[in-house]
Amino acid sequence: MLLARKPRLSWGATLTVLAFGLIVALPMVSQVWAHKVNVFAWIEGDTVFVEGYFPGGKKSQDSLVEVFNPAGTKLLQGRTNEKGEFSFKIPERTDLKIVLTASMGHKNDFTVSAGDVGEVRASPSSPAQSLAESVKDASSHPADLSQLEGMINRALDRKLAPVMKLIRDTRKDGPSITEIIGGIGYIFGLFGLVMYFKSRKTGTRRKAQDGEHKAH
Amino acid sequence: MHISEGVLSAPVLVTGAVLTAAGVAVGLKKMDYEKIPQVAVLTSAFFVASLIRVPVGPSAVHLVLNGLLGLVLGWAAFPAILVGLALQGLIFQFGGLTTLGVNTFNIAAPAILCYYLFARGIAHKNSSVAMALAFACGFFAILLSSLLVALCLIFTGESFLQAAKVLVLAHLPVMVLEGVVVAFCLAFLMKVKPEILGATHAAG
Repeated sequence: MLLARKPRLSWGATLTVLAFGLIVALPMVSQVWAHKVNVFAWIEGDTVFVEGYFPGGKKSQDSLVEVFNPAGTKLLQGRTNEKGEFSFKIPERTDLKIVLTASMGHKNDFTVSAGDVGEVRASPSSPAQSLAESVKDASSHPADLSQLEGMINRALDRKLAPVMKLIRDTRKDGPSITEIIGGIGYIFGLFGLVMYFKSRKTGTRRKAQDGEHKAH
Repeated sequence: MHISEGVLSAPVLVTGAVLTAAGVAVGLKKMDYEKIPQVAVLTSAFFVASLIRVPVGPSAVHLVLNGLLGLVLGWAAFPAILVGLALQGLIFQFGGLTTLGVNTFNIAAPAILCYYLFARGIAHKNSSVAMALAFACGFFAILLSSLLVALCLIFTGESFLQAAKVLVLAHLPVMVLEGVVVAFCLAFLMKVKPEILGATHAAG
């Protein structure tokens, strides 16, 4: 009787601990964050903007930002301001790998493709030659075209700004409730499996002992 | 407490992984059948605790609960923390798989130390002394973890004193909070289910 009750007691105790943990944790889920730093970068004009933040939206201030080209050469470095932002002129028209190192061993990277955009912006005298060629039949002046190109780019920057902000904000979300519950499910499943194998082992041992007792 | 991938060099990672493997082996050996549900529940608590944020300065810190895990689980805290960290890495992308060994050791080793330092005192002395010891247990576990992380960061070029200063200062609120959480849990467990603490000593 006593033996049968003992495991049930510790189950009760462990479940109360879990209940306590969940009660404390669940209200926090909407504003979660934790030990991980994110980095996001986007291009406006000929400038690359970098933003570092922790899940939940807190900015990663005064963090080291290093920019590498695909060959692995460091092009430039700097530090984020109090808003967690850093910006620089496009140094090379390739894929730029931006590595952000926050304090306490946090690090992440983001690759931004400055290839196409950089070309259009950096040399307005040769603005999208394909466009110029395609409209040549209409006997337009190249100067007008480059102006037009600039206007389109500015308008696009303006129109796309909310979309970029949306993308940035979406990436700031912490883990969802589904992921959290899923993780807990994995833990219980895993330890359930451990229990199953341990119980089989003790079960066979017990049977063996019973057998010995009978033999004696 | 989660060191990201690509920060540490291979020797540090390998050392951490080897030490963690040893700790987990001992933990699994000492974890008997009756204790597995407890380990599972505390692993879940550890897994979720990292989502409880403590806003500090320019960075982000969170509850760790390693003091509580050490106190209740003893050596079984090693496998518990390994599983918790692995899932945090896979699901939340905290830390990383290559740094799993180092991170587990940094969090679990102080848990075991606190278990040896405080578990006996908490079970036997009167309740106010036990409360103080429980607070110290939660507090020291985080302090030691911060120092271990700082130790790992030496090899990345950061000076120990500087890294330790940043880490300890950032985790000061967490230390206090964890102390309170451990004391609260202990008071609760002693009233409701005292055998959960007593059982640890028999097993450990």
